[in-house]
Amino acid sequence: MHPHDHTPILAPDEAPGYYEVMETAVRELLIEKHLIGPDEIRRQIEVLDSRTPALGAQVVAKAWVDPEFRARLIANGRKGCEELGITFYDDTELIVLENTDKIHNLIVCTLCSCYPRPVLGLPPDWYKLKPYRARAVKEPRKVLAEFGTPIDDDVEIRVSDSTSAVRYLVLPLRPAGTEEFSEGELASLVTRDAMIGVTKVSTERRNIQ
Amino acid sequence: MNMTSIGGIVKADGEASRFHAGDRVAISTRFPIGHYRVPLYIRGKTGVVESVTEPPAVNNEEEGFGRNAGMKRHYYRLAIPLAELWPGYTGSANDGLRIEVSESWLERR
Amino acid sequence: MNASQNLIQRLPTELGGLPAGPIERIEHQLLPWEKRCHALADVLDYHKLINTEEKRCGVEALGGEIVGALSYYERWIVAFANILFRKQLITPEELAVKMDEVAARHGREENA
Repeated sequence: MHPHDHTPILAPDEAPGYYEVMETAVRELLIEKHLIGPDEIRRQIEVLDSRTPALGAQVVAKAWVDPEFRARLIANGRKGCEELGITFYDDTELIVLENTDKIHNLIVCTLCSCYPRPVLGLPPDWYKLKPYRARAVKEPRKVLAEFGTPIDDDVEIRVSDSTSAVRYLVLPLRPAGTEEFSEGELASLVTRDAMIGVTKVSTERRNIQ
Repeated sequence: MNMTSIGGIVKADGEASRFHAGDRVAISTRFPIGHYRVPLYIRGKTGVVESVTEPPAVNNEEEGFGRNAGMKRHYYRLAIPLAELWPGYTGSANDGLRIEVSESWLERR
Repeated sequence: MNASQNLIQRLPTELGGLPAGPIERIEHQLLPWEKRCHALADVLDYHKLINTEEKRCGVEALGGEIVGALSYYERWIVAFANILFRKQLITPEELAVKMDEVAARHGREENA
């Protein structure tokens, strides 16, 4: 574990660090050489800021209430998301992994940090660090227990390790007692961690994480 | 309307998938240096093709060196039991890995 | 395989199955420069200057010591610089000169 996990927040008048200086210099050189346009970074930041777990939560909620949408989503995850206006700016494909009473899905990238960014936003640090990436494929039940998600022995765990241009999104089980919930109320239950597969959706949680 | 395929069409190399869902395949045991997208922990292991990923795509290992042209090959979503990957695995015998592997890394079993 | 071969045959970024400790639920709000760095990766990909796989390859090529010592986006920006050098899109000298200029700006603002 390297020393930069808890990156300090710079005071506004602090000098930029070495790597920030490098990033600024690379960017400015590329713009000066007309290799990238002067506003492209700012525009892409807007794209990134617009991609949060709330998007994935809306996809999940719609799949819960609309069986035909769910079927289309399972057949082609990217096309299903695109129906809701979620564009795949990184040209990846998406497989939506359905949890059932007998199957629990979990996603990881042991080689780097592949993650369904267009529909979930940027991944949390722990997803990109060694403990999760090393252990999720080897001892998923222990990993899930650490997240407070014990899985019964009669439930099959499927760990999807991303290695190609395909990304994964877990479609969690809809919790019991939500039959009268609106689509918006359902979406507010769905957390980022449930769509990674390290937790389940419960009616106790009302915030997006 | 039910259309049957027109006869006499020859596919280019790589257009048809070599493997199909349900096939048993083994991951090759070569050890490339420099760059790869097949993790060490599955090299030489046997799995079952769960699905064929369409359409065929450029070899991503070659893309790492800026080569974005060349013969396209299929990727396959493989199912491999965790008990086969990790000696002494203590979870359920049904627990499994799902992983996409390029056709260039697979042999029929 | 012996220790030396293992160093070469296992990419420093490949972690599946390695011994590791408990998962700490670390998260942080990206610093502005980190967000810009992520955006830069996407823009470089759009322009086919550095595609995603080249970026991964570039990070792997940093080697184990640097991969272990640098944070996520620090690895990216160093990898980008190396790849841009290799593609002769910028030179090490150009980058060094520009970095001095950028660093000096802050000094001038402080003293203004």
